Amino acid sequence: MTDAATVRDVAALARLAISDQDIENATAEFNQTLALFDALGTTDTTDVAPMINPLDAAQRLRTDQIETLVDRAGLMQNAPASEEDYFLVPRVLD
Amino acid sequence: MSGLLPTISSLARQLSEGSVSSRELVEDAIARTEQINPTLNTVISLDKEGALAAAGRADQARADGATSPLLGVPMLHKDIFCTQGVRTSCASKMLADFIPPYNATVVNKLHDAGMVSLGKCNMDEFAMGSSNETSFFGAVKNPWDVTRVPGGSSGGSAAAVAAGLVPMATGTDTGGSIRQPAALCGITGLKPTYGRVSRYGMIAFASSMDQAGPMARTAEDCALVLNAMAGHDLLDSTCADLPVPDYAATLERGIEGLRVGIPKEFFSSHLNAAVAKTVTTAIKELEAAGATIVDVSLPSTDLGVSTYYVIAPAEASANLSRYDGVRYGYRCDSPTDLQDLYLRSRTEGFGEEVKRRILIGTFTLSAASYDQYFMKAQQVRRLIAEEYQSVLKDVDVIAGPSAPNTAFVLNDDSKSVTDMYMEDVFTIGANLAGLPAISVPAGLVDGLPVGMQLIGPRFGEAELLNIAHQFQRRTDWHSLTPNLEGLTG
Repeated sequence: MTDAATVRDVAALARLAISDQDIENATAEFNQTLALFDALGTTDTTDVAPMINPLDAAQRLRTDQIETLVDRAGLMQNAPASEEDYFLVPRVLD
Repeated sequence: MSGLLPTISSLARQLSEGSVSSRELVEDAIARTEQINPTLNTVISLDKEGALAAAGRADQARADGATSPLLGVPMLHKDIFCTQGVRTSCASKMLADFIPPYNATVVNKLHDAGMVSLGKCNMDEFAMGSSNETSFFGAVKNPWDVTRVPGGSSGGSAAAVAAGLVPMATGTDTGGSIRQPAALCGITGLKPTYGRVSRYGMIAFASSMDQAGPMARTAEDCALVLNAMAGHDLLDSTCADLPVPDYAATLERGIEGLRVGIPKEFFSSHLNAAVAKTVTTAIKELEAAGATIVDVSLPSTDLGVSTYYVIAPAEASANLSRYDGVRYGYRCDSPTDLQDLYLRSRTEGFGEEVKRRILIGTFTLSAASYDQYFMKAQQVRRLIAEEYQSVLKDVDVIAGPSAPNTAFVLNDDSKSVTDMYMEDVFTIGANLAGLPAISVPAGLVDGLPVGMQLIGPRFGEAELLNIAHQFQRRTDWHSLTPNLEGLTG
């Protein structure tokens, strides 16, 4: 069983907030989902290699060559806040 | 049931004969969408201007001598595919105003084949759901019964095809998101082999399982569309560098002697009895066509749900970490500092199911839990994949239900989060193992569609499509349509 404090810690890692009002329900659902995973623990996986890619394919590498797929202006058009070619965020340093 | 709805094949014939123009088809599809969409909520971005212009270009190309079975045929994209200049929201508040500066490869390929996109279909937010109720833009209604869900996550695509807005819509399938809604809406949906279709420009959910595919009325139409969708793409490093066969050219092979494996675990207590009976009858139709039915076993079927719901949220938590309110997507009002910007943008921008999965994924990837959950699930994934491969050495194809139930009612409070996850129990295995699978209409239970699922070996799409086509030559379940008269606003 995972307690509310752990769920809050995980939420903080994921940059998500859980209100005091929602924490009890969130913790209950969290534990309900973890209970679904119990069956994994009883499965013998001795000497079984993890399967990261369903085709067991190795990552293919491209030639190390610069290609422009989308121009800077196109990429900047969805920025919530920008100035010239820069994304604006709240001040990080005083 | 009302009359037959057009298929791509029938529209291609009419376009080729000159009895209809692409512009007429697109105008009709737009009118139909505007009439029916207020009830079903299947389309969340309608690009009338772009569609009419594309239809005009298709008609001109045909006049200039171009021919293609897809040229000028209207379609819709699931709103997970980036479309240049057309909003791509993934049905999330987070991307509610996102206008991509580029097209997904699937979008480009279907455009190049001459298809005319009308716009974007509703879906579960970031493809996380099996009912289409997690969309920021509201739930989609099932055209067979508007008090019920269409399935998910490609529920908007399935409902749009079932209601005859278009003959084909794209979908994506991470744990059953093409096959389950296809089953619940009475259409045909194909999840290709992992790597068969490029994922470039397809907004990522769980990158080791996400795969795009066609949703249409018939297997023949799915074959025509897969011809255009499939193929190697340098922009997706997991896309297979293998030749693409002509799937439509190999649909007339008989299935005499075909070995069809029926996993006993697919007919377990999870399965609604009436659905079981319907799928069993459909399997007998394959036997009547000359196939040999073989009992097989996939003992880790239930374990697949646990495995999937570790791996998919873990990959999702990593993929969705990019939404931070800085470069694109939702940003909260007046952030006090950078941490506040991240925290509130994500908390306000994501819906409840997405946040639930990010939390679980973050937990299973954390240092203290990684071996117990994430690494363990990856090991069990291999055992499951090996089970499928072993069975597929003995049989040509695996058959069973696509979903344990018919469409369930909207806002069903009696279903817990994990009850909902069990809706994917029969579809998840193909994603974990990277196998192709198709759902075909197999009958009705209390007036609601049931799907039969066929799972094949890696890159065995041609065989699956042929079996599905042979089934559809012997049955007419794929021709049934809901009573659309009640859907007009």
